[in-house]
Amino acid sequence: MSIARTSKLVTMAQAAAMVADGARIALGGLSVYQHPMAFAHELVRQGRRGLTSVGVLNGPELDLLIGAGCVIRVETSYVGLEKFGLAPNFRRAVENGLVEAEFYSEMAAFDRFRASEDGLAFAVSKALAGTDVAAENPKIVPFDCPITGTRLSAFPSAEPDVAVIHAVAADEYGNVLLPTRHLLPQSFDMIVARSTQTLIVTAERIISNAEVRRNPHLTGVPGFRVAAVVEAPYGAHPCHSLDANEIDDLHFAEYVEAARSQAGFEAYLDRYVRGTSDHAGYLTEIGEGRLASLRSADAA
Amino acid sequence: MSTPTLHETLAVAVAAELRPDDVGFTGLTTGGSAAMFGTMIPLAGMELARHLHAPDLVSLLAGWCHNPTLRDLAEVPGSEFDPALLRLSCDNLDMGWPPTMSLKRGDVTVGFSTAAQVDRQLNVNTTRIGTPEETKVALVGPILIPEHFALFGREIVMLPRHDTRTLVERVDHISGVGFPGGRKGRESLSLLGAGPALVITPLCIIDVGADGLPFVRSIHRGVTREQVRASTGFDIDIPADVATTPEPSAEDLAVLRAEVDPHGLLRR
Repeated sequence: MSIARTSKLVTMAQAAAMVADGARIALGGLSVYQHPMAFAHELVRQGRRGLTSVGVLNGPELDLLIGAGCVIRVETSYVGLEKFGLAPNFRRAVENGLVEAEFYSEMAAFDRFRASEDGLAFAVSKALAGTDVAAENPKIVPFDCPITGTRLSAFPSAEPDVAVIHAVAADEYGNVLLPTRHLLPQSFDMIVARSTQTLIVTAERIISNAEVRRNPHLTGVPGFRVAAVVEAPYGAHPCHSLDANEIDDLHFAEYVEAARSQAGFEAYLDRYVRGTSDHAGYLTEIGEGRLASLRSADAA
Repeated sequence: MSTPTLHETLAVAVAAELRPDDVGFTGLTTGGSAAMFGTMIPLAGMELARHLHAPDLVSLLAGWCHNPTLRDLAEVPGSEFDPALLRLSCDNLDMGWPPTMSLKRGDVTVGFSTAAQVDRQLNVNTTRIGTPEETKVALVGPILIPEHFALFGREIVMLPRHDTRTLVERVDHISGVGFPGGRKGRESLSLLGAGPALVITPLCIIDVGADGLPFVRSIHRGVTREQVRASTGFDIDIPADVATTPEPSAEDLAVLRAEVDPHGLLRR
């Protein structure tokens, strides 16, 4: 009998404690899809402060952290709630000078993570000349292509201290399942996973290593790259989560209404986040019936 | 057949702009008239062109759904990965970044976008009203707009509103670059694409002259020159012989209603 492999399964509280005050974090997912919302909730419960968020298309995961006072700086191409409109906490914080927004174009924002994946200090764009995206961001630096002399723009890679993605399933050793039929948000998560040395994975369900080994071609992140795994059913709620749940339109509407004022948003946080002790408590507050109604046709 | 709606007329106008070898890219704009102008009219225009004169044209819905069976769409899509979109049959479901095409080599020959502001130099703004120090409205950010205006062959700007807050002398943030310093000024930026080619609004169709300055190509039926002038925040060139935006032919309208939009999304 050989000695056992190390399990990386931890509680959400233990995982969130891996993010220090002032850290540079990347939360996976895009716009209103696949964000690790349960993880963001736990950062709020733990009262994290001074975070910098680096992302591509940010949505409620970031708006929530901003509304709870956890974030001071945002690097992104978009912060919004898609069909639910502008991100209310982001909007208020920027207009009041509480959060600094550093913008990149969408492809540039993606490529910052690809540069981190490649171990490079910078990425390159030929689409930024003449824009205020470049003019207002001192980190976007024009340079001449060393081969052709063409004018290009360089900008720093993403380099998150900690990255967090939400997956449909993972085993206790950190092997993450990527369904064959996935979409851009899940593809982005795979890039995010390779952009950091501290990757946390929250998963709809924990599967056995035997199940992973029966379908090893579906492993999107190899376990050795993962620092911690947390079981979090409906862990992206109210966002869409691939093969798990659809978007919770009613909850988004409630969120947007609450976040129209800081006082309203504090009440939202008191009910759903600070007022619940953990993710199970949050799900109880949302209600079993509501959650069941959101279940995807393809959910396991 | 009933008279065409403005949205139908504009879909036919978009189709007429498209070339047989075009690869056209729409984002997924959400909410009422923004979704109609930013997403639905371009998609319908591209699909109509495929039926009328451009069978090989490629339509990229939200950039990821290649040549969707648009006629199966019963609602204007509400989100980028709407379950209804995922059920549409298509040639290619682009699942990742980088995608299966090469956006940066110039694969996209025509892009469609919308914006909060467009100015006399055809720059567009999706990022902010106000200055960095005094932000009046923090909008969503640049998103893919820099790439639309720099890398795509040409850009058709679809504006759901035509008023003096939207068409302005100078945008508050150049998110997508048009013709600062005219066509020569744009050339000096060494961008791959030709930049904005048309602005389509609820009142008129705005073209771009050889000098890189906008002029009104046609005014929609029922709209006056004075109305266009008063609704535009810069002194816009309206030629004395400006045309009325052509109404769809009976044949085009029949194909549009039967093959492209059987659910009547453009008639709502």
